[in-house]
Amino acid sequence: MTKVLTINQSVEMGIREFLKFLLDKSKVKGVFTLKKLNKGGDVAYSLITRSDELKDTVPFFPLMPINAGKLLSRFTMNGATSEPVAVVLKPCELRAFIELVKLEQGFLENIMFISATCGGVYPLNMVHDGTIDKNLSQYWTAIKKEEIPPNLRPACKACTEFIPYNTDMTINLVGNKTLDSQCEIFIESKKGEELAKDKDIKKKYSEKESKKKNLDNFRGKREAEKKKIFDEITPKLTGMDGLINIFGKCIGCHGCSKVCPICYCKLCEFESSDSEYGPSHYESELRRRGAVRVPPNTLYYHLGRLSHIAISCVGCGSCEDVCPVDIPLSIIFKKIGESVQHMFEYIPGKSITEKIPLTTFKEKELTEIEK
Amino acid sequence: MKKDDDFMPKILTFLCNWCSYAGADLAGTSRLKYPTSIIPIRVMCSSRVDPLFILKGYLNGADGVLLTGCHPGDCHYQSGNYHTRRRFAVLKKIFENLGLEHERLRLSWISASEGQKYAKITTEFTQKIKELGKNSTGTEIFL
Amino acid sequence: MNNSSDSSEDKGVVIQVKNTQKETVNDFLKKAMEQGVFDAVLISMKVPAGDSFAYVLLTDKELLKDTFPLPPIMSVQGAKAISSITRRGKGNKKIAAIMRPCEIRATVELTKLGQIDLDNIVLISMDCFGVMPTPSFIKDPEKSLKKFEDAIRIEDDTVMRPVCRICDKSSMVAGDLHIGTRGVQKDAFFIVSNTKKGKDILDKLGLISNKNIDTWLAKVKENAKEKQKKRKQAHKDLQSSIKNLDKFLDTFSHCINCHNCMRACPICCCRVCYFDSDKMKHPSDDYLRIAKSKGSIRFLPDTTIFHIGRMVHMSLSCVSCGSCEDACPMSIPVAQLFSMTADETQGLFDYIAGKSLEEPLPLTTFIKEELSEVEDVHD
Ligand code: SF4
Ligand code: SF4
Ligand code: SF4
Ligand code: SF4
Ligand code: SF4
Ligand code: SF4
Ligand code: FES
Repeated sequence: MTKVLTINQSVEMGIREFLKFLLDKSKVKGVFTLKKLNKGGDVAYSLITRSDELKDTVPFFPLMPINAGKLLSRFTMNGATSEPVAVVLKPCELRAFIELVKLEQGFLENIMFISATCGGVYPLNMVHDGTIDKNLSQYWTAIKKEEIPPNLRPACKACTEFIPYNTDMTINLVGNKTLDSQCEIFIESKKGEELAKDKDIKKKYSEKESKKKNLDNFRGKREAEKKKIFDEITPKLTGMDGLINIFGKCIGCHGCSKVCPICYCKLCEFESSDSEYGPSHYESELRRRGAVRVPPNTLYYHLGRLSHIAISCVGCGSCEDVCPVDIPLSIIFKKIGESVQHMFEYIPGKSITEKIPLTTFKEKELTEIEK
Repeated sequence: MKKDDDFMPKILTFLCNWCSYAGADLAGTSRLKYPTSIIPIRVMCSSRVDPLFILKGYLNGADGVLLTGCHPGDCHYQSGNYHTRRRFAVLKKIFENLGLEHERLRLSWISASEGQKYAKITTEFTQKIKELGKNSTGTEIFL
Repeated sequence: MNNSSDSSEDKGVVIQVKNTQKETVNDFLKKAMEQGVFDAVLISMKVPAGDSFAYVLLTDKELLKDTFPLPPIMSVQGAKAISSITRRGKGNKKIAAIMRPCEIRATVELTKLGQIDLDNIVLISMDCFGVMPTPSFIKDPEKSLKKFEDAIRIEDDTVMRPVCRICDKSSMVAGDLHIGTRGVQKDAFFIVSNTKKGKDILDKLGLISNKNIDTWLAKVKENAKEKQKKRKQAHKDLQSSIKNLDKFLDTFSHCINCHNCMRACPICCCRVCYFDSDKMKHPSDDYLRIAKSKGSIRFLPDTTIFHIGRMVHMSLSCVSCGSCEDACPMSIPVAQLFSMTADETQGLFDYIAGKSLEEPLPLTTFIKEELSEVEDVHD
């Protein structure tokens, strides 16, 4: 049983009103959430300090313009905020932020996390062709029925970590039939409980104990979808020839690493002078191969990036979203990521105290690796 | 992959300065027979070997990459080789899952007194690589 | 000002086309390699999956038959490829680089920016009819390629990228040699030299520039004139749609700050872009303070400074190549905006990016008596 605050409004209105309450009563000094920018329907993360600005917010809009974990890292990398900020974000974004905190790229202090069981988001390219809005009612109908809405990003269709970890408050979206009439906020942490004890809150919101919805059925659907998607890519993603075919069209923009929350390096190895070929390197390549792709390093970049970040990949799909040539990056990184994470029974971003496997070791393990 | 009896593979071999390099040296001074396929690179500790070095070697057409270091517990920097082991395991898993020839990558612990082991492992690994044949990535254009 | 073609010669070589133009160009390169005029060729090739094209540097002549001198897309701006080859030194090989005019022009700019060493490079451009947008091409490469080839045949530019449709420098000669196909009979093309290096190569190959190239020059001029008109109109339309900052911001409101545009741009060659550097990373309390002064800020609040800042940094060298726009995952008309700005800023100095190696970059030089109109007048 978990403590729940109930607001008798739709989830969309209820969360907005709750955030407004937090700002107005100075429980937080800022709110970080998705907001509609203009009539064009653009949605972007915003940092809001005045409560009237909350009216255009769309905290659970099914879009991830940038992984919020990456943004929170930008927000706190030079020190924790000295004033409390409430952040509404998706489970994989929160997991990404936890990984970044472990990598010393951000601070948790003074941040109140509000997340939700996540139904998934649409690809970014549906923004400019304006088709997201047309899909919205279908989206929420599917979510209420615990179904996977059509047209979502593959990363989301295959995501089995749709229940957030490390939140202070969670809103149940998936399978919630009363989305249009009631907003229930589950209190998940000490910080959340402290807040719920506050007299202003007590006065305003009724509190009860409730059981969280069992989402095994939904998880089953996602597992099945993941299996299907992985099975589809496996034969193509096999061997050097397969990799050359998949990555051959890469234009080397490195957008995938720039938006990846886990790739935080100031100067990526693959953009450093270490990865450049000097004239003698080109000449030796030419002697051996007769020809060399220019600029070089397409596979070196992707395999190298896998070796750097697969262990922490949260499967957020941002990499694929920005790829101008539609390489199925999120599925590749998710699949390989899960296989290496599995070796250490590690789920990135699940726990703040569990070390990232490549930063620690056990004396007795992996003996089968050495021969 | 063609099998070729005359084929002498190129095996990039990283040797940790304190144990494995000394082990290799011992093999030499004891006049043990070991194959000419080995291209040795001395590093201060096996943990100095960024998985990218292995990857780069592989993509540049090394037929095999052998990473060696002190036995667990003996690393002269206390825990370097434990980290090496995890990194190597991850790289190997990535190779396995992408259907790349992970058999071309090998990790071995060789102490300063194990000249014998050095000769045995390099011979064995060379034989194994001979069976696998040439690494075709060395001639691909579109890597 | 004649900014369409500026070959230093008015005579050229005529090459008879056998089978296809592509094959004949490749034959020409092969012959030059056989005679040791070039050791290597930098040219476009289909990738193994057949769904895109990439530059390769080749020494194996047999590969020439698979190359595509004018591929249907510009997956990577050619100047970036040349920079990759010579940034760390010029090496010993004599390399011929076959590219589109805007790629050669970007190469000239990068040379002036110290990112390319042209000593061992021969730049060969070709008349360009435009390229298709990469993102749409790769959706169906086979069909797209056919569409492209058909479009070239009937000189229809509607399938090409917006910046290509208004490109008035598609025959500009900025390299050493140029292959002219406009206004030439179907079964031939011209080779025109533009530099001493180019002329020497023709000499070595025993090719004599004695043919009249008037038909090419006339056609090039006509084409440039028509495109200039279209360009002016397109820029006027664009300008009226973004006439104030709000409108400008609206254009970029989809922007997700991925900086793909900057990384695809040949001119943006900084190892770490200013707009990715620590200079742009502020303490959380600063962000909060800014938010408080406005009630709400977009996060990151960097979109405007990035785009305007990038324009300030590089618009004088922008060659309107469209690579930025191709790489934008949000389909923002980045190249259209940048090339419009570039026409204006370059116009201030009568500068045309990439036209000449000798002409210095406007911001690296000055004239004492100039631009008085931008100063305050105190008297
Ligand atoms: S690799 Fe892709 S899916 Fe994985 S965390 Fe990075 S952006 Fe997200
Ligand atoms: S690919 Fe590696 S070096 Fe590059 S940003 Fe990612 S983690 Fe850093
Ligand atoms: S975003 Fe796509 S094109 Fe760009 S580097 Fe990544 S895979 Fe290549
Ligand atoms: S700004 Fe765009 S159009 Fe201009 S040179 Fe750069 S990539 Fe080309
Ligand atoms: S925007 Fe400026 S700092 Fe950034 S890469 Fe371009 S020129 Fe360099
Ligand atoms: S590529 Fe497009 S989305 Fe990315 S920064 Fe440039 S304009 Fe913005
Ligand atoms: S010193 Fe030998 S493995 Fe670390």
